Amino acid sequence: MKSIKILMAITVLLSFTACNAQIKNAKTESVKIFGNCGMCKTTIEKAGNKKKVAKVDWNKDTKMAIITYDAKRTTQDEILKRIALSGYDSEKFLAPNDVYAKLPDCCQYERKAQTVAKVETPKTEVKEDHSTHNHSAMTETRQDVSQLKAVFDNYFAVKDALVKTDGNTSSTKAKELLTAINAVKMDKLTTEEHTVWMKVMKDLAFDAEHIADTKDASHQRDHFMPLSENMYALIKVSKTETPTYYQFCPMANDGKGANWLSKENAVKNPYYGSQMLTCGKVVETIK
Amino acid sequence: MDNQKNIYKKLLPIAILLLTTTNTFAQKVVRYDLYVKDTLVNFAGKEKRAIAVNGQIPMPTLTFTEGDTAEIHVHNLLKEETSLHWHGLFLPNKEDGVPNLTQMPIKPNTTHIYKFPIIQNGTHWYHSHSGLQEQIGMYGNFVMLKKADDKTFRNGIDDLPTLPIVLSEWTNVKPENIHRMLHNANDYPALKKNSVQSYGEAIKAGHFKTKLKNEWKRMLAMDVSDVYYEKILMNGKPSSDLKSIDGKELKAGDKVRLRISNGGASSYFWLTYAGGKITVVANDGNDVEPVEVDRLIIAVSETYDIVVTIPAENTAFEFLATTEDRTNSASMYIGNGIKQLQSPQPRLKYFEGMKMMNDMMKMNGDLDDMGMNMSLNQMDMNVVMYPEITGDSKPKQSENDPNRYNANALADIVTLNYAMLKSPNNTSLPQNAPVKELKFELTGNMNRYVWSLDNKVVSETDKILIKKGENVRIVLYNGSMMRHPMHLHGHDFRLLNGQGENAPLKNIVDIMPMETDTLEFNANVEGDWFFHCHILYHMMSGMGRVFSYENQAPNPLIPNPKLAQRKLFADDRAFHFMAENDFATNGNDGMAMVQGTRWSIGTEWRLGYNDHHGYETETHIGRYIGKMQWLMPFIGFDWRYRKLETDAMGNVHGEKNLFGQTNTKDNRRQFSLGVAYTLPMLVVLQTEIYHDGNLRVQLMREDIPISKRVRASFMVNTDKEYMAGLRYIVNKNIGLTTHYDSDMGLGFGVFLNY
Repeated sequence: MKSIKILMAITVLLSFTACNAQIKNAKTESVKIFGNCGMCKTTIEKAGNKKKVAKVDWNKDTKMAIITYDAKRTTQDEILKRIALSGYDSEKFLAPNDVYAKLPDCCQYERKAQTVAKVETPKTEVKEDHSTHNHSAMTETRQDVSQLKAVFDNYFAVKDALVKTDGNTSSTKAKELLTAINAVKMDKLTTEEHTVWMKVMKDLAFDAEHIADTKDASHQRDHFMPLSENMYALIKVSKTETPTYYQFCPMANDGKGANWLSKENAVKNPYYGSQMLTCGKVVETIK
Repeated sequence: MDNQKNIYKKLLPIAILLLTTTNTFAQKVVRYDLYVKDTLVNFAGKEKRAIAVNGQIPMPTLTFTEGDTAEIHVHNLLKEETSLHWHGLFLPNKEDGVPNLTQMPIKPNTTHIYKFPIIQNGTHWYHSHSGLQEQIGMYGNFVMLKKADDKTFRNGIDDLPTLPIVLSEWTNVKPENIHRMLHNANDYPALKKNSVQSYGEAIKAGHFKTKLKNEWKRMLAMDVSDVYYEKILMNGKPSSDLKSIDGKELKAGDKVRLRISNGGASSYFWLTYAGGKITVVANDGNDVEPVEVDRLIIAVSETYDIVVTIPAENTAFEFLATTEDRTNSASMYIGNGIKQLQSPQPRLKYFEGMKMMNDMMKMNGDLDDMGMNMSLNQMDMNVVMYPEITGDSKPKQSENDPNRYNANALADIVTLNYAMLKSPNNTSLPQNAPVKELKFELTGNMNRYVWSLDNKVVSETDKILIKKGENVRIVLYNGSMMRHPMHLHGHDFRLLNGQGENAPLKNIVDIMPMETDTLEFNANVEGDWFFHCHILYHMMSGMGRVFSYENQAPNPLIPNPKLAQRKLFADDRAFHFMAENDFATNGNDGMAMVQGTRWSIGTEWRLGYNDHHGYETETHIGRYIGKMQWLMPFIGFDWRYRKLETDAMGNVHGEKNLFGQTNTKDNRRQFSLGVAYTLPMLVVLQTEIYHDGNLRVQLMREDIPISKRVRASFMVNTDKEYMAGLRYIVNKNIGLTTHYDSDMGLGFGVFLNY
């Protein structure tokens, strides 16, 4: 028994040195990489490994990776970047969101590092921070721009999600829109804006709430129509830095047609998504 | 009295005006001293020669304010000539920096002073216009700021924290060698980029028929770019952090303006940003109405000013410049904290691109746009290769969809195109000026790397005369298979893009295959102005013209115009040398060739190791005819010696060819006249008649791509000679071969090529 153990120990040792021996000027470091399961392990190691240059050994329980690399030919950053590009966050790099979203369900680890970013993803909070920063430096009108800007930006986010027929995202974005609507301080608006705001505020909140409450894109689109019309009325009297395009698709709303606002003049239809992405035209450019 | 009062009233504003203008015209002279010096750099694992200015690559950023006078002292400490061109600037012709056209080259160990008033603002750049120096470090940012009281000053754009960025590429191969290899259709760069598109790969991808059709139409495998670069650089670095600007730390909510110039010698770059949309605010140094996009491509030598926002706390967002072929990229992380990456551009679907080219190419080499009237980069044929637009596998778009090449219609991301650029000002030309219309077709031959306008290179044409004051309108049609960034010196032109009076002002127009673009400018500065493709290797091959004003004063910096012209023409008249030899067990097999735009002088040899195998050489001097250069008449000279077998009786058996003519294999010296023609499948049919009346017809095909690294070749002729061989490519200059030859039998060898 004992001899078997010793033999095993020796083979393990040998094999370890054997695979290590390939990498010259070896430097070994231990870093945290976020992930869930065995599948993650395969992806992480495959992305990080490079013949004779880098070797990654990730432990799914501790989330720690032992990285051995040729310090003359690569850096820890290069390896971690490759791993992040395969979908896995570390303490230095965040994976692109679209790559993360494409990971298999079992690998959709909780993005701990992303919480840093989440603080600002709800745009309202950033905007508040942004506007307080502006308070001191900018003039009155500039403040008003950022007052409603959060509302517009979140509206565009909802629109973009509907273009992709992504009910989940439009729901969360609508929630943020609602927060932004409630955060508007009416006394900071110009007279013109104030008048329109009083008229549309309730409807805006109503439609935003309904979009937020469902994940069904077709129901969301029903509410997106009045939402867009009210938003149009509002943006007409408000100053924005970049032009906005008022677009129209004659086929939406059962052939009655419907409008929406976009920051790009290229048509991306939020009522049909990929089914009829370019149906529609720009009817007005608002500056 | 009344009159006098009026005069006073009139004079007062004039006096005030005079006072203030003298103030603003009190020109500030801004002087820079540039020391141009050889240096050794290590960008990609090896020490290589480069050129540094004031000890740095890129060259230092030169900053001026509109109204300044620039005085730039260029000290040439190189062992070769140099020059500096101020790209996109309005200046007197003699300051334009084109050697042998607007000035004589700056000789080694001399100093040249450029001095000119700064009469515009915007993002520009500067580079060497001498030889291939631009590839190895001679590029830099050139920024001209608006005056503080400028009426066009845009709050929220012109007052943002700003960083100038010059993009460039680095290769460990000497640029002269790249240029030579391009002319010899060496496909080693394709191998490095994994874009050989061989038969083996085609079969694997289910595209055998596509490849067959492609070769039937006499095309070599195409990539969107020709040169393989080891590193992509932003301000000289493949990866960098932008944590603060002018000492002020960047934080969430901040907007940053990037002044981006593409100083790459031959690479287009896709620009993308991990922090969301990119707002384009200027192009080629001219303001445009802000337009939000997800991505844009920046053509060689173009400039774009973009604004990006840092959307989150404690995060740095990746700004990514990816080569058009997507093999390499450079990153800049904007902000402070953990790095949010941008997903890389996925690999191109090459065989979809090949299929698209097959459909567009007519049998005679012309392109067929199938009635699509393409212009302004709105339709991008390459979208068939972009997985992010047309999906990972087969494209789903139908044959008749008018939008099947419109990236913005096919995907939910927005790609910038020229139709979206709009000047904030009225850019109309003077109304009553006479109009001169010029038309050019951009022509080219990928296989021989000849690039031209109307199938003529610079040295084959005269200067194009224009008159001062007239409006020059140029219609460009790209009939070649590559895109070309066409650049006009000394003037901005309006690109007619459907924006009416607000057509954007540019000095480079990128024009894709089959596109037609119209541009116009008012001829307002005398001189000789270069109009050329800004891909360095295309320009050096002669793709350009010179616009010259009628009856203009001679340029004092060109004392001997004849000599200058000869030196200018020398660029595209240069011949490119290649040689290869197979050191095989059964003999040596090789060739050496020098080729220019039209002429080819080549010698082939087969040298056996004994008299029975024989020794022979064939030399051909030929001229390529036509745009596609498929036809080459030539004169030749053959010399061969081969000891023929004798039978028991001591009779020598002469060999007879297919036509029953007896061959003088044994020690022959023959002159010949012949013609070579490239047939479909790229097989060369060579018909030759020797001075003794013998006729020889030969079919040959070399470099058939079997797999990524294996090439096959064959030859058969009416002298009953034949050969077939295989070559495995080890690296750029070495291969392993096996071949069977009717004279020398089976052999294995080591193949060297230069």
